[in-house]
Order: sequence, then structure tokens, then C-alpha cells
Amino acid sequence: MTFDFVEPVVFALLSIGVIAGGAAVVLLNRITAAALLMAFTFLCMAGMFVLLGAETIAAFQVLIYVGAITVLILYGVMFTKFSDGPRALLFQRQTPIAAVLVAAVAIPVALLSFSFTSAPPRPGGGDLPALATSVFTDFAFPFEVASVLLLAAMVGAIVLTRRDDPEEAAMRRRR
Amino acid sequence: MPVGPFGIDPIIWAPLRLVIAVGLALFLVLNGALLQIYLERKIQAIIQDRLGPYHVGPFGLLQTFADALKLISKEDVRAAATDGWFFIAAPALVFCPMLASWAVLPFAQDIVGANLNIGLLYLTTLGSMTVLGIVIAGWASNNKYALVGGLRSAGQLISYEIPQILALVSVALVVGSLSMIDITRSQTGPLVNVLILPFSFLIYFIAALAETNRTPFDLPEAESELVAGWLTEYSGMRWGTMLALSEYGNVTVVCAIITTLWFGGWQGPGVDAFPLLGALWFTLKVYAFIVVMMWIRATLPRLRIDQLMSFCWKGLIPMALVNIIAVATLALAFPNSLVPIAIANWALVVLFIAGIPFLQRRRLATLRARARASAAPAVRAAS
Repeated sequence: MTFDFVEPVVFALLSIGVIAGGAAVVLLNRITAAALLMAFTFLCMAGMFVLLGAETIAAFQVLIYVGAITVLILYGVMFTKFSDGPRALLFQRQTPIAAVLVAAVAIPVALLSFSFTSAPPRPGGGDLPALATSVFTDFAFPFEVASVLLLAAMVGAIVLTRRDDPEEAAMRRRR
Repeated sequence: MPVGPFGIDPIIWAPLRLVIAVGLALFLVLNGALLQIYLERKIQAIIQDRLGPYHVGPFGLLQTFADALKLISKEDVRAAATDGWFFIAAPALVFCPMLASWAVLPFAQDIVGANLNIGLLYLTTLGSMTVLGIVIAGWASNNKYALVGGLRSAGQLISYEIPQILALVSVALVVGSLSMIDITRSQTGPLVNVLILPFSFLIYFIAALAETNRTPFDLPEAESELVAGWLTEYSGMRWGTMLALSEYGNVTVVCAIITTLWFGGWQGPGVDAFPLLGALWFTLKVYAFIVVMMWIRATLPRLRIDQLMSFCWKGLIPMALVNIIAVATLALAFPNSLVPIAIANWALVVLFIAGIPFLQRRRLATLRARARASAAPAVRAAS
């Protein structure tokens, strides 16, 4: 008896986690619970990356998505006004259209996924030196473009949210 | 039949090893927290010219054990308006990442949970997960003070993560590895990294104080303004898990990172002959930094929230970026020598220490000028 059974079991648990977490994020009414379950889904995805031998990607997944993005979403939820009115689903009022669109994408994808006949790719190749080398050589230009895009988004966010409140400006000057 | 270590069947040994490792980490965290609370109270007492705990046991050594027993036996109180599952989940969300980060701490030559080749990245990743638990705790408490504490904590921890990671990058640039073992091994003899990279050590230490909610950066739980911040609604062992175990565990982890990266980890006199001596050296170095943190707590007053944020974004992050650029450029220009990097880093430290009084004097002058400008019309009106 060996430990060969562990990897499929872990994969099954992680898949259940990803799918159930993702479904709960969409279906739940409580937005904080949805945010927390989103973090759970990201964690399960990171586990998938570890199974594929890409620990670095898993670490970045947790660092950025769980540690930063989920916290920012919670931050946003806390700053948004919370009404005690009837709790209805906020973003899901176009169920028929959504169903048609999802079917249009999902059915071809499902059909396509059964058409692969070649051997599955070997896991690995996501370790640190290989990743770093490719980012700084082959993919240096896309990497830089992405960073410029992020910079533009940041400047835009600052411009949009900055208020020229005279009272606030006076307060700032006094300080 | 294959035989693993100690003559145990590998099929039993693999899960057994996991249980032993987790149990050992839990044991260390629990006892470390007890010891550090005692140390904290004693050191503050010495600095403030008091006696500190001295009734229970010799020198009051058993005081924290008594406190822990009291916490465990306390009634599990929960306000009616708190947010059920979140309130219960938050302490676990704060505690688990801290416990998981003990897996890569190299206590001695062969005493390490896992030698990950991304050890440093793993530690920063887990450090960034703590903030999620704190924000959830602040939200679930359904209390103004807790919410403000949680929000402050989110802002502070996310901001100070940046200089912290940037300071780690400069060490990785010099050593060329992210594995905690490799970083320790690269610092042979007395030539530890702090002699080469004192400036990144300074940045990391300041940012680490903020990351672990230590004074002067303990805004999320500022007693004088927020009762206890995000911990307000918690009591009993939930409070104990969040504050005592997680905070002190995180302090230990951060000090272990400092020890490994800048002070040679387990290495010290006599380690080659007796490898187990490394655990002693490691512990001594870690506790030296913990004591420095407690000393800072007894010395410095708390910052204001806007000072805290502007110090990070306008002070620490630019400094860390300058540091990285200098280290990376010099590492490329002189691949065989660490001397230029060391010279540049020490120059940055001198500039930093010399620059603070200069900036303070300028700020004081502008403040005085503003005060004079705003006071002048009032005086004229009175006369």
C-alpha cells in the first residue's frame, strides 16, 4: 500500500471546494459571506496549483487574491451603505438571458474538452527560476505593458475619487 | 517491507510525522505566548520602575499560566447582535496562517518542517492572510469600535506589506535564493547579512512592527480611542487565541525571519560540532529581537492614523524602492563582490538617520509659520 491514493483524493476535495465555493458566491444573499467564500475558492485554486507543481503561482494566488483583493472587497462592502430593506439578489435579474449566454459558451467548451486525445501535459515548469526567467526575458514586454496599465488605472482611480471639498481642503491646510 | 526512520513503517511514519510537526508547532506557539506575555510585563515593569507580576510562583513566573487557565475556564460570551459564523471563524482565520508559517522556520541545521524553495514567498503569503481574519472580526462584532479597528487594520497591514516585501527582495537579490535554509547557509561565519544590507533590515524591522500591530503602530487596537479595536467584543479563549496566541506567534515568526535573513539563523560558535546547539542560538537571537520590540513598546508613543499612512507611503516605500534599485544595480555591476552593496547600504542608513532631524526641523518651521499666520488676524481683532 502506498500513498498514490492521496493525490486524487486531494484533487477531488479541492474540486468540490472550488465548485461549491464558486456556486455559493453567486447564489448567496449575504455579500460578506460571498466575499469570504470567494477567498475560500481562491485558496482551493491555490491548492490546485500546488498539485500541478507550480508552488510559486499558488503563493502569488494566495498573496494577491486572498490577502489583498478579498480584503479590498470587504473594505468596499463595509464602506457601502447597508439597507435593512428586503434582501433580494442584487445582480441576478436577467436569468433567462444569462442562461442562454452561459449555454452558448459552456456547451461548445464541454464538447471540446472531450475531443482531446493526446497525453495530458506533465505537471511542473511553474517553479521559481523558470518563471522568473520567462517573465524577465520572453514576456518582458507584456509584463511592462500590464504594469503601465495598472499605473494608469491607479491614477484614474485617484482622479475619480478625489473631492475638491473646500472645507476639507481648509482642514488639510490647518494640519 | 520498507522501513522508514526509527524502524517505523513509512505508511505510519508519514501521517505520524505530520501529527508530530503540528503538535510541536502548537506546543511552541502556546509556550512562546506564555513566556512572551510574562517577558512583556516584566520588561515594561522594569522600564517603568515597577515590580510587575511577582505573586504566583518564583518571580511571578506562573502568573501567565494562571491567566491562561482563567481564559480557558471563562464563559463563552457572545453579544446577541454579532454575526454568527463569522464571529466564530475570525479567530481561526487569524490563527491558522500564523501556525502554518512555522513550517518553514529553520530552527537548526536539520530541524525544519519543510525546506521550500519559495520559503520567503510562502511566509509573506501567510502574513498577508492574517488581515482577512482581522477585517472579518471587526465586521462580525457589529460594533463601531471593532469596525473602525478592522478598517484601520486592513489599511495598515496592506500598506506596510509593500515595504516589507520590498525589503525582503533585496536580501533575495544578494543571496540568490528564497529558501530559508539557503539564506542561512549563505551567511558563513561572522559575515552576516546585516553587515551588507543594514538599510533593508531597518526598513523590514519598521514595517514588521506595523505588520504585527506593535507599538508605535498598534492603531487597530488603540485602547485610548477604540477600547480594544477589533478585539472589543471578544472574550475568553477566543480573545486569547486572537491576541495572545496569534499576535505573539506572529511576533515570533517575524523575529525568526529577521534572524534568518539578516543575522545568520542558527549559525553560531560550536554549531559545527554540536548541530543541536543551533536551536539554542536561533532561539536566543529571536528572543533578542522580541525584547527589542518590547523595549520599543515601553518607549515610543502611538502614532496618529494619518501619520502612520503617510509615513508608509511617503517614507518607507520610496526608501525601499531606492534600496532595491541600488542593490540590484550594484549586484549587476559587481557580480563578484558584496563590498559596493555594503558601502551603498551603509551610506543609505547614514543618510536616513541624518535626514530625519533635518526633515523634522523643516516641518516644525512650517508648522510654526502656519500657526503665526492663523493667529495674527485673531490678535488684531482683539486689540
